[in-house]
Amino acid sequence: MTRIAFIRTKWLAGILIVATGFVSACGLPHDAEGTLPRVQNGVMRVGISADSPWVVQAGGSVSGYEAQIVTQLAAQLHSRIETHAGSESELLEKLHKQNLDIVIGGLTDDSPWKKSLALTRPYHEDREGKKHVLAVPPGENAWLLTVERYLRDNEERLKAIPE
Amino acid sequence: MNFGRRFIFPEEQWEERKRAKRLSWISLAVLTSTAVLMYLTLGQSEAMKTAWVEDLLGMIPPIVILIAYRIETQKPTKRFPYGYFRAVSVAFLVTAAVLAIAGLSLLFDAVTKLLAKERPPIGSITLFGHQFWLGWAMIAALSYSITVSVLLGMRKRPVAEKLHDKALDADADMNKADWMSEGAAIVGILLVAYGKWWGDAVAAGFISINIIRDGIRNLREVLADLMDETPTKLGGVETEDLPRRIAREAEKLDWVEKASVRLREQGHVLNGEVFVVPKTDDVKVSKIEEASRELAKIDWRIYTLSVMPVAGLEDGNLPKIESR
Repeated sequence: MTRIAFIRTKWLAGILIVATGFVSACGLPHDAEGTLPRVQNGVMRVGISADSPWVVQAGGSVSGYEAQIVTQLAAQLHSRIETHAGSESELLEKLHKQNLDIVIGGLTDDSPWKKSLALTRPYHEDREGKKHVLAVPPGENAWLLTVERYLRDNEERLKAIPE
Repeated sequence: MNFGRRFIFPEEQWEERKRAKRLSWISLAVLTSTAVLMYLTLGQSEAMKTAWVEDLLGMIPPIVILIAYRIETQKPTKRFPYGYFRAVSVAFLVTAAVLAIAGLSLLFDAVTKLLAKERPPIGSITLFGHQFWLGWAMIAALSYSITVSVLLGMRKRPVAEKLHDKALDADADMNKADWMSEGAAIVGILLVAYGKWWGDAVAAGFISINIIRDGIRNLREVLADLMDETPTKLGGVETEDLPRRIAREAEKLDWVEKASVRLREQGHVLNGEVFVVPKTDDVKVSKIEEASRELAKIDWRIYTLSVMPVAGLEDGNLPKIESR
């Protein structure tokens, strides 16, 4: 019995890898509202709430580690960034209603918004043990996957961010 | 006669009982493995959460069976003179109630999510150095769970039949019906993969209805048992003709004019009375005791069978009482 189950697990793992390769080629998963194709070669609406050193607003310019992340991501996707400044709750509300594509502002994975938004995988753990994440609209899974892929590709560098 | 004695299972049924216990232990091990796999891939999918809870709930029947099997064969005591065979029924009442309530709560969650148009965010997972969409990992975990639970259900069913064990039968049914729930979860996740966010909540709703149905079916079965229902066939309401058969055998005894039998099913065993109208008034006690012993051999499940001489039978069924 257990042996059968074990053989089947191996089998399933094999099928999983092949199947994933196959479906990834078909471009699955899709977004519920098509964020990714809209952002690619288009406009990325970024919600910005200052929280040094992740997001630093000085005069008209925005910098900080998370600002850097979205800038590079936008460059990869050939999209233009459109910034929306506001308080964290204001921005996350907009994000929930799909009026923004991504919010940066030193969010961590214990955010009370966790349930109503899609938080990315943590890209950095700070000195207090807080895990930092970015937020995207819920249900935009292709877009979420794209952001997470960027975070993974830059894993080492982001982990080593000096605070 | 068995009154006050320990019930002895026949050799064949004793072996099946061991098999049932082994299958229950295997179930627990296997369900733990699927629960862990599903937990690791849970994410924020409602369908996955519901399937996971169903998986966890599926661990209750094997636990209940293992406990009840241990208790039921204990010798009757002064405090429990009829023995402990009702342990299975009591345990199953709890299981059925938990299933029904958990199902309702999950259905409520699913409907709320659907009405609030909450979209399930499903991110990525890194496995073997590759980044996958978590949804694919969920589908893999669900497929594993379907395979093992259907196999378990298929193994349990014949054992339940030989033991006439309603608890094990219900458990086997639940295992087998798992493919529907987990299949629904897979469909839900595939819908999400195609950008149809509602697929997740709809699948969760479907699974919770399945859980509620399991609960209600078990509840009905166990309530009938607790209401001292006459023996019924496994998994249905069709009554057995065993009481009639015992009555016919009793009527074959040379001192018996007429007989009627009532039985009640209590877990694995049957208890009841044989009302006999003797041909003459001077029946020997030894004849009555012999009848009780011999009639109990008709079916292995018969535990205690009292033979009660009466003056007459009403409607050929219950003892006639002069001043009713």
